[in-house]
Amino acid sequence: MTERTIITVDGPASPAAPARRVRGQCLYLDGDTAQPQACPFEYADAGQALLIAHQGTTLRWPYADLRALRDQAGDQMIIRLADDPTQRLIIDTPEDRDLIRARAKNLDRYASHVKRSKLAMWGLAAVASVALIIFVLVPVMADQLAEYLPPEGEKALGDATFDQIRTALDDTGFSALAICDSRSGVAALTKIETRLTEEMDLETPLTVHVLNHPMINAFALPGGYVVFFRGLIEEAGSPEEVAAVFAHEIGHVVARDPTRIALRSAGSIGVLGLLFGDFAGGAVVLFLAEQIIRADYTQQAEAAADTFAHAALLEADLPPSAIGTFFERLSSEGQQEAGILDHLASHPAMGDRIAAARAAQPEGAKFRPVLDDAEWAALQGICD
Amino acid sequence: MTDNAAPDRLTTTFAGTRGPLFRKALWGSLWTILTLGFYRFWLKTKLRRWYWSAIRPGGTPMEYVGDPLEKLLGFFLAVVVLAFYIGVVNLILMFASLSLLASNFTAYFVSFLGVIPIWFYARYRARRYTLARSRWRGVRFGLKPGAWGYAFRALWHWIVTLLTLGALWPRKTFYLEKYMTDRTVFGSANLHQGGQWQMLMPAFVHVLIGAALLAVATFETWQGNLRVTYLYALAGPWFVYGVIHYTVEAKRILANHKTAGSLGLRADPDRLKITRIYVFGYLATTICALLPVVPIITLVGMIENERLNAIYDPTIDTDLIYGLPVSVWTALGIIAYFAVFLIWGVLRHCFVTMPLWRHYAETLTIEHPSALAAVSQKDRDEFAEAEGFAEALDLWGAI
Ligand SMILES: [Zn+2]
Repeated sequence: MTERTIITVDGPASPAAPARRVRGQCLYLDGDTAQPQACPFEYADAGQALLIAHQGTTLRWPYADLRALRDQAGDQMIIRLADDPTQRLIIDTPEDRDLIRARAKNLDRYASHVKRSKLAMWGLAAVASVALIIFVLVPVMADQLAEYLPPEGEKALGDATFDQIRTALDDTGFSALAICDSRSGVAALTKIETRLTEEMDLETPLTVHVLNHPMINAFALPGGYVVFFRGLIEEAGSPEEVAAVFAHEIGHVVARDPTRIALRSAGSIGVLGLLFGDFAGGAVVLFLAEQIIRADYTQQAEAAADTFAHAALLEADLPPSAIGTFFERLSSEGQQEAGILDHLASHPAMGDRIAAARAAQPEGAKFRPVLDDAEWAALQGICD
Repeated sequence: MTDNAAPDRLTTTFAGTRGPLFRKALWGSLWTILTLGFYRFWLKTKLRRWYWSAIRPGGTPMEYVGDPLEKLLGFFLAVVVLAFYIGVVNLILMFASLSLLASNFTAYFVSFLGVIPIWFYARYRARRYTLARSRWRGVRFGLKPGAWGYAFRALWHWIVTLLTLGALWPRKTFYLEKYMTDRTVFGSANLHQGGQWQMLMPAFVHVLIGAALLAVATFETWQGNLRVTYLYALAGPWFVYGVIHYTVEAKRILANHKTAGSLGLRADPDRLKITRIYVFGYLATTICALLPVVPIITLVGMIENERLNAIYDPTIDTDLIYGLPVSVWTALGIIAYFAVFLIWGVLRHCFVTMPLWRHYAETLTIEHPSALAAVSQKDRDEFAEAEGFAEALDLWGAI
């Protein structure tokens, strides 16, 4: 639409010749009306500027202030002035584009009008508010709310979480991890449970399961769930060691630790999803984030569960030192890489906890065995 | 082109080609993955500049002047506000639902309902931001304030639509579009959406037929009459075509009733061409996106097949595959996941979004452009949060 006409092109430069002058044609947008004007312009190299003839006046656009719009489709070149938001020159011909590119050295410079200081401030504010919410507000609220959650609510939360964990740990990802329930094995497990809880005054009855998974782990869930993995039952050297882990998990149940964690993740997951946005469906990030949040109870919660376990074991005539024995065998066998229970063994203070278990056992105390040999064999074969 | 020679209509051209778009989208998506998603603000800006500049009504390109840092800032702002809402409100809802109803599903549902008005609000704000950063012939577009008004109207029209089982969907389309269009400005000119909602009903008829067939098929199957399941083969494609047909027709009819003073729009998209773009575009995109997982699935499938048939084939060592450590499998899985995501996103631009935009652009004309002489510039609409809320609530527009 724009005819480019070269009016004068001088011959080879000679000392006497005037400055090289080339004229081009552009479409000029004045930034006020919606009427593009076809305007001739002039390369005034002496003044280092484009001179645009527009409605009887001459506009001077210095080469140093010319900026080309980025990421344009097709090969039009659109020029703006560095400090003018609205005026534009549309350059249609390849010759003019080359001539301008050769003269305007700052053509590709881009400056955002957003102040870096403001951006940094709001970035910090966003990080701070997310941190405040995830690490302070949500935990504090979760701890408070966990105290008031009625038993049915806790049970519902535990049911949902238990199902999620069974699905998540299944290799195929389509069904749920099997629950081990050989009759004699369950009977043996129930015997340990009865022995431990006889003297306790539990708000909700326990729901105890063994999941068919090689991980050496056990965990508690809201609503009185205590769950062992097959790996832990098989790895334990005696029924007393299973009872010791059992007592520790009951400690978590009584302190409502799992309920807090579940409520915390309910508050935190949405916030983290917000941060990472639509990125890759958010699925991977959410999964990782959830792992981080769920990873552990606090040191105090672990210590409290240990203390509870020591007392409960003594009450039931069982040796608190069994937990120490169990830990020791795990570390001596170098089983760490096999995915040993996260909230027990990965603890930096494991040595302290073994010592505490030993110290909790009174000198010369007498204990009654919890299972006979046949029952112990049945428990170890609960998944067969 | 000068004023005196102004024709009585301006046609639109589309100057973009797939090659540059592919490169832009590919690099941008790679960077987005490498920066845990933060490059998306730059990617989006670059793609919009490109798409906008490709569309040239009367030969003059549109211009997108949005800024990536402005989007990042808006995102930070939205995080500050929404993190509180989402964290605390979700927690309280979860607690209430567990305490009162012993279920956590209700909590998710209520929390979802609570976000809906904000979602509509954000959609209006996002449109306002996008228009405020769009120009043609150097003149700014804009959308007047009214996001809460939009949110409440959207809620109301959705309720009406749901209560009529979707039959009054066109009514919602029309009134929401009218609300937005009537608040849209181009420089000093106000846009106006003419017509009534009933004019969209004929275009909706294929959706209704498809839905009715689907309902009949489902009802009969549910009653145990399995012989009518073949109806799905008819009802499914009919419904899909109905949706595309309605989308195109509604756009066309609404555009043809948009005016700004004596300026008018005329859209003439070809339904069959759009249907072709959707069907073949998504087909090509999906097939290409699944390529990274084909080798893994084939290998596992072959081994499983061997195992099921109990035939030992010495050429396949099952230990070689199943003996791999979990970490290797996890890494392979993550790489495949991102590859699928990347290819899907990039190719959808090349095979679906760009062809659609090109067709819609090339079939658009502006009537009585002499009225543009009366249009002058409007003031800049400062916009602290940019698309922050929309971004945070996953409200992605066409691009
Ligand atoms: Zn513990």
